[in-house]
Amino acid sequence: MKRTALILLLLVAMVTTPLFAGGDKEAKSSEKVIRIAEQVPGLITPGVWDGQVFSMNSSMYEYLVEINVGTGQLDPVLATDWSTTDGKDWTFHLRKGVKFHDGSDFTSKDVQYSLERTQDPTIGHLKKQDFSVVQSIETPDDYTVIIHLKESRPTFVYQLTDYNMAMLSSEYDYAKYGESKPMGTGPFMMSQYIPKESIAMVKNPNYWDPALPKLDKILIYFVGDIDASVSMLEAGRVDVVTFVTPVIKNRLSKIEGISVISPYQEQRFVAMNVDMKPWDDNRVRLAFKYAMDPQIIAKSVTQMNLGEGAQYNETPIMNMLSEYKELPLRQRDIPKAKALLAEAGYPDGVSVALYYASDHPFGKELAQTLKELALPAGFDLELKGFTRDVYLSQYWLNVPTSITGWGGRIDPSMLLGLAFKGGGPWNESHLNDKRINDLIDKITEEIDVQTRMGYYHELQDIFYAEGALLNVQVPYLVAINDRVVDYRQPLTMIPQYKYTDIR
Amino acid sequence: MKYFFYQLKKYPLAIVGITVLLLWIVVAMFGPVLVNYTHTAMDSNHQMTAPGLYGHLLGTDNMGRDILARIVYGSRSILTVALMTSIFSTILGVLLGFVAGYFSGKVDAAFLRAMDILMAIPPLVLSMVVLGILGDSSIITLTLIVSIAFIPATARVSRGVLLTEKNQEYVSSARIRGESHLYIMFVEILPNTTGPIIVEATARFAYSIMMVASLGFLGVGLQPPTPDWGMMVIENKSIISQAPWAVLFPALAIASLVIAISIFSDFVSKVLIHER
Amino acid sequence: MNRTLSIIIRRLGSLLVTLAVMSLIIFMLVEIMPGDVAQMILGQSATDEAVHALREARGLNDPVLLRYARWVGGVVTGDLGESIYMQGVSINSILWRRVGHSMILALTAFLIFVPLSMIFGVLAGVKEKSKTDSIISFFGLATMALPEFVSGVFLISIFGVQLKWLPIVSVIPIGESLFSNLEILVMPALSVTFVMFGYISRMQRSSMIQVMHSDYVRAAILKGMPTRYVIFRHALKNALLPTITIIGMNMGWLFGGLVVVETLFGYPGMGSLLMTAIKTRDVPLIEACVLLITIIFSLSTMVTDILYSYLNPRVRLQGGQK
Repeated sequence: MKRTALILLLLVAMVTTPLFAGGDKEAKSSEKVIRIAEQVPGLITPGVWDGQVFSMNSSMYEYLVEINVGTGQLDPVLATDWSTTDGKDWTFHLRKGVKFHDGSDFTSKDVQYSLERTQDPTIGHLKKQDFSVVQSIETPDDYTVIIHLKESRPTFVYQLTDYNMAMLSSEYDYAKYGESKPMGTGPFMMSQYIPKESIAMVKNPNYWDPALPKLDKILIYFVGDIDASVSMLEAGRVDVVTFVTPVIKNRLSKIEGISVISPYQEQRFVAMNVDMKPWDDNRVRLAFKYAMDPQIIAKSVTQMNLGEGAQYNETPIMNMLSEYKELPLRQRDIPKAKALLAEAGYPDGVSVALYYASDHPFGKELAQTLKELALPAGFDLELKGFTRDVYLSQYWLNVPTSITGWGGRIDPSMLLGLAFKGGGPWNESHLNDKRINDLIDKITEEIDVQTRMGYYHELQDIFYAEGALLNVQVPYLVAINDRVVDYRQPLTMIPQYKYTDIR
Repeated sequence: MKYFFYQLKKYPLAIVGITVLLLWIVVAMFGPVLVNYTHTAMDSNHQMTAPGLYGHLLGTDNMGRDILARIVYGSRSILTVALMTSIFSTILGVLLGFVAGYFSGKVDAAFLRAMDILMAIPPLVLSMVVLGILGDSSIITLTLIVSIAFIPATARVSRGVLLTEKNQEYVSSARIRGESHLYIMFVEILPNTTGPIIVEATARFAYSIMMVASLGFLGVGLQPPTPDWGMMVIENKSIISQAPWAVLFPALAIASLVIAISIFSDFVSKVLIHER
Repeated sequence: MNRTLSIIIRRLGSLLVTLAVMSLIIFMLVEIMPGDVAQMILGQSATDEAVHALREARGLNDPVLLRYARWVGGVVTGDLGESIYMQGVSINSILWRRVGHSMILALTAFLIFVPLSMIFGVLAGVKEKSKTDSIISFFGLATMALPEFVSGVFLISIFGVQLKWLPIVSVIPIGESLFSNLEILVMPALSVTFVMFGYISRMQRSSMIQVMHSDYVRAAILKGMPTRYVIFRHALKNALLPTITIIGMNMGWLFGGLVVVETLFGYPGMGSLLMTAIKTRDVPLIEACVLLITIIFSLSTMVTDILYSYLNPRVRLQGGQK
């Protein structure tokens, strides 16, 4: 008996010893520390970074350019300037004196490596498609990079703002250390990382801008449950919580010292697959659009009025972008929807499946709202919810109707070729309309801004009349403690913590 | 029957339990006719309405859906899954347990080994892993997986009762008559063992309600628009301070149903097992 | 003692067989199901060609049995391998910390509910049909009927939100260990306790009643011995025994409950790790978690069995089967 107890005790002791090996204690009071609660990240290596969690990577890695939240224009970061004459050949000049966290210098070789890496099949790089347009890369000296494209891309530089296009060191083994020891040129460096649990980052003493960053430390907790994260914020244990829901926003609005901001909006595309019945008939698509009520969608999905935090249109362009064309909001008209449906050969209504990611913000809510709204018009939507990864890998692109989350793009042309052109890899509505294809080509290649705008408007008219898409725009919400000064996060979704300070 | 009522008089709590259970069954069968909303209808002008206002007897949630309607419709799915699960796992358990116990020897040893493997992992963890890998949580898959997770329990009980009956005289006389094994097992023995088996089945019924609710919480349970009580608690927990009713009522629904079934199960075991 | 030892060895042997079979089943299950790590990583951009290339790079195109053999080879030498999803992250580096956390939580819950449910069960049993009995029995019934996440939500809103006595989230502050933050264990442990309390106190009550009605207890009381003396000297010992078995049998429920409360409270334990591993089809990580849960679960059942046989000389262990 005694022996058994002893053995048990030993076992317990063995398992628990690692727990005593604590790291450094929480920051001293003189240090400026910001604490963040975020979702549990999936992969964090740039290239396969799934974009669930932004604070960590955006603080350790950097990009050639970044978006200025004030002006919406591009600001230089690792590139000091860039130029192109025809949109085909691009020259970038790099910042001198930039060092990686491991002490090595940042040079044109690293830029070349980071761009060529996108085409490496063993990585599964998420920007492979976008960067397949690169023909060759020249590095005449350590601080100059010339990129030759296969065809003209006047907005190519915007591709470099994508969160997966961080600049990496050509001498570091990211396949081996990318998930456990992330390393870049960013304003903060990793100090203690426990995968799936937390990370502590400290100020990069060799940062190229001596005035930045303003903070000494960033601590991030990965908490799966959003209510749990928010309660940490309310208890003063963290300062920033991302991906807050509108319901929580309403609750927090009554609490002093905490604000909820919406740095940008995200899109939810409701795509109707025109290769499948009944969506192959434009009259059915129109009937569906007539059954919708944008205000009810906004209210049910986001608990906000249309225009306050949520937007709705029938084109691929977000309402907030300058390329958006102001088209009249379709008024709900059930008799008209019914008539259109009958005309298309479905006098008794039609049943169609709607697939969506049930664990993705707003997915469940939007799916159920669509079902309710479409019902009186004769649409019986059969809801098929799956977890996001199952949805994306097994169903998406091959189903009659789908709801998919799309991040905003500063330059919408990036998205058009992928999702709306015949043969595009993410063409969820299976559109293959010659007019649309031609317009998308013209948009991607046109250098003149005004002419390009004309093409954009033409494209939106086509979508309004015949498109296979509802574009519901939902707010991305961040709750912050008022101690936090200057929180910046542009449409690229990459927060810029180097500017952030704490009172 | 007379005996049943005599017992009922002896355990007044059982009356409460059975009444509540019957009430839930009635609600599941006829409820949708009685409520004036469907479980998916959204009253977008009255989100998070307090109970009693605007015709929402139990209030609404953050999407303006009627809590009462959702509970009523939810009773259907939860009762269906729980009932099917307890029936499935009992049938499968009886089959396996009887065959193993009856033939003993190698069959029995193999059975026990298989049960050991299945039992070595907690039922909730097993269901969670399998459902998670399958990525599909329709009512049928859910029922099947939860039933399988419950088999060790039901099979062991069945095997146990068969072993006590196996050496009874009526069994040996049936053998001498030359009846087939199947006949002996399911025509001769089964009717004499219904008591403990039914008790086990009712216990499974209560467990499966808890299990389905927990799986729903972990995100691998029933998916919308199927209304699920467990999911209602979770979906609405962020509004618990503004609209406590949206959490309270579904929680009460779960609790009342499980308590009613537990009482019923206790009662059944008293009536069926102790009478002999 | 020798007999017990041989039985322990036999049961450990059968545990090994169990582990081997179960891990193979999990490997196979993930194999036959659509969607794998390569597709999870590529997400939206999963073209057939890209998926194939990535599979090749991660060795996923090897035959499943070869991969299984490779994995087993590693486990036998104490190397649980690398996560196939998070390349370069060794499972040993993330798992053990979580195993420790989970065990401490389980132990805390165990230390709360075992004495509590036994004491109240005995109390209710001794005072059968009194007011105390009804109150305890009803409370037991009510807690038994609430799944862990429901009682957890209520605990949070009462003790966390309203009274502000306890932290709502069981996150360990960065740079600190669990031991300097023991208060985060309270609410998760209590939520697990609720269900177990209901079940075990009811069992304890009925076994106590049975003992109190037994001939020898009645005879002792009739002989004029003080009731208190009879209860403590004779009844208690016999009434506590069956409860130990019941506790052992319900360890499965306890471990399932842990997964739920870890998720609810954001506690960094094994359950939440398993959940993320499943979502990403990370086979080595799923295997490691299930393996550990199985081992701990089986060992704890075994310990209660052995304890039972020690305390009750009439029962001899029968090769693991009761």
